[in-house]
Amino acid sequence: MFDTPIGRRTLLRGAGVLGAAALVPGQQGCAADDDALTFFFAANPEEADARMLVVDAFRRRHPDIKVRTLLSGPNPMQQVSTFCAGGKCPDVMMAWEFSYAGLADRGVLLDLGGLLAHDPVFAAQLRADSIASLYDTFTYNDGQYAFPEQWSGNFLFYNTRLFAEAGVRPPPGRWEQPWSFGEFLDTAKALTKRDRSGRVSQWGFVDTWVGSYSAGLFGMNNGVPWSTPRMNPTHLNFGNPAFIEGVQFYADLATRHKVAPTASETQSMSTMDLFSAGRAAMALGGHWRYQTFDRAAGLDFDVTVLPTGPRATRARSNIGSTGLAIAAGSRRRQQAWEFVKFAAGPEGQAVIGRSGLFVPVLRSAIDSTGFAEAHRRIGHLAVLTGGPANSEGLPITPSWEKVNALMDRNFGPVLRGSRPAASLANGFSHEVDEVLRNP
Amino acid sequence: MTGQSDIAVPRRRGSMGRRLGAGYLFVAPNLAAVAVFMLFPLGFSLYMSFQKWDLFTPPEFVGLQNFRTLFTADPLFLIALRNTVVFTVGTVAPTVLISLVVAGVLNRQVKGIGIFRTIVFLPLAVSAVVMAVVWQFVFNTDNGLLNIMLGWVGIGPIPWLIEPHWAMFSLCVVSVWKSVPFATVVLLAAMQGIPGELYEAARIDGAGEVRRFFSITVPLLRGALMFVVVISIINAFQAFDLVYVLTGGNGGPETATYVLGIMLFQNAFGFLQFGYASALAWLMFAILLTLTAVQLLLARRSRLED
Repeated sequence: MFDTPIGRRTLLRGAGVLGAAALVPGQQGCAADDDALTFFFAANPEEADARMLVVDAFRRRHPDIKVRTLLSGPNPMQQVSTFCAGGKCPDVMMAWEFSYAGLADRGVLLDLGGLLAHDPVFAAQLRADSIASLYDTFTYNDGQYAFPEQWSGNFLFYNTRLFAEAGVRPPPGRWEQPWSFGEFLDTAKALTKRDRSGRVSQWGFVDTWVGSYSAGLFGMNNGVPWSTPRMNPTHLNFGNPAFIEGVQFYADLATRHKVAPTASETQSMSTMDLFSAGRAAMALGGHWRYQTFDRAAGLDFDVTVLPTGPRATRARSNIGSTGLAIAAGSRRRQQAWEFVKFAAGPEGQAVIGRSGLFVPVLRSAIDSTGFAEAHRRIGHLAVLTGGPANSEGLPITPSWEKVNALMDRNFGPVLRGSRPAASLANGFSHEVDEVLRNP
Repeated sequence: MTGQSDIAVPRRRGSMGRRLGAGYLFVAPNLAAVAVFMLFPLGFSLYMSFQKWDLFTPPEFVGLQNFRTLFTADPLFLIALRNTVVFTVGTVAPTVLISLVVAGVLNRQVKGIGIFRTIVFLPLAVSAVVMAVVWQFVFNTDNGLLNIMLGWVGIGPIPWLIEPHWAMFSLCVVSVWKSVPFATVVLLAAMQGIPGELYEAARIDGAGEVRRFFSITVPLLRGALMFVVVISIINAFQAFDLVYVLTGGNGGPETATYVLGIMLFQNAFGFLQFGYASALAWLMFAILLTLTAVQLLLARRSRLED
């Protein structure tokens, strides 16, 4: 058959037609065929459902603007970089305080200052209603690259039933009422239970965040900020004795006092599951865990502030804010601006407050009855409403990915107990400063 | 006759030309794929290795700066190179030994060998990521299968993936488990090509099974063994997916499993230093090319000596 020219041509033509037919729907699927505004965000499954409330509210308010949501995979920074490098940058994207500077530095994010200048009423309203430290989190090199959308600083969840059963006094309910490292340790000890074989059946404390970052929070709560200044620092305080003392206290919880599980002990059951199942009395985490704990069957919990070290005067959380940014190359800039204005402005923030999804960042939404209603089961609501104003910023630098890799490498042995926290003051601290100075 | 042949030649030529054209047309899609997905990235990465590029801003020519930084200013390069060598040796040597033994066993004509072969070749059909996830459960310190079994013989829990010195060992175990089936397939095929008369003659001369294996099978497998070694070294040197899933994108704990593949990925997609990552990729290529050339040279010399 292949020897006859007609057969071969027919075959090739057929293959050509089939190939073209196969390509047409594919191209339609990949191309930006519709004029929808793309919104890129990261969320755990519980958050993703609730986040759609805000998107739906926007759709109702602006029926003429179509919105297509893009849920991020495990590494949002890598994903968004790939999108943008490939010319498919989402119009609106979630911005993280740690990583947005890298994108802003490379011209990926739009400086919202220009749009604000054209919308003075909104600008004034936003400024008046915002908490300065959160708003300024996204002010980088004189540009405003995002508006904060949620406060996701860390605090402690605690199991009220386990506290009551053990006869332990509930921890404080306001940031202005600190409790010391010593009091925290005594509480964790009192709530750690072992079975006859010596295996722990209930932990006093678990960490649902990232160990190295949490250790840094304990350093910060011993009176030392991570960096001074916060923006574009050339030095981080990892080598400061008080910071080291706080980190060591955190590491000792697992390795010396045995009131918290080690990395090995959380391989088979996540710390989140331990708290949800009532097998841990206190859990460090942010409001992003709230939905999960809220849905856990039979879990009675409240929230409290982070403990304070001997060298600190007041309890602090981290700003841990995420914001909404617009891609510099967006072809739907005006629609994107409307979306950002809605979600980060009073209207969207009120929806966020009522949804119980996040802790909003505007005072009007934080202090609203809607937010209080959504958190009825919380006794210490002031921990959430006072969180944003009692937070301290973590460093903002375009080199954060490199600092993060160094932290992961160097905090590991400290948290496993194979090296003292004082070792951070040696090579590591200098390596970090070198990365900050020569990115 | 002459006239006929004169007419026939151009016809044949025309037919040959059409056949050639059709042949090119048929291979054109594959050639295009090779050009777009292999040759272009290769050329582009070579070009990028002399540039500073972060995906977003225009590339900036930096000459040999990326290579200089690798050799003189990046302490992690030496760590990654050392880890890669350890991982390669820790994978290739056991893989070759185990697959040789397994192929020898599978080459026998015994009852139920089909089932045994299926079990041995099973890892070949499983994706590296799935495999790594399953092994994560096996290596779990408290409730992992391995530590439970070790507990039966009185050995306490080993922190396989938590402690740096155990993490590389664990990685090699999984890599060997993944590599053995392919090596076995190649060696088994080569074994089945060895004439039975040689074994028969050796048996008549009084050679035992072990002697026959080392004096007949192994020498006659030299070509296949060389192929297995070269392919295994290349695979081990480029390890990424297994490490990424098993011990994380930073090659932890600490730098215990920080191999060149992880370093390349981290620099490219974590730090957005695509020029530097390209330089590293070409350095890896150069190392592998040298290793393979040396191996082939040794193999040729050994053949000539025989």
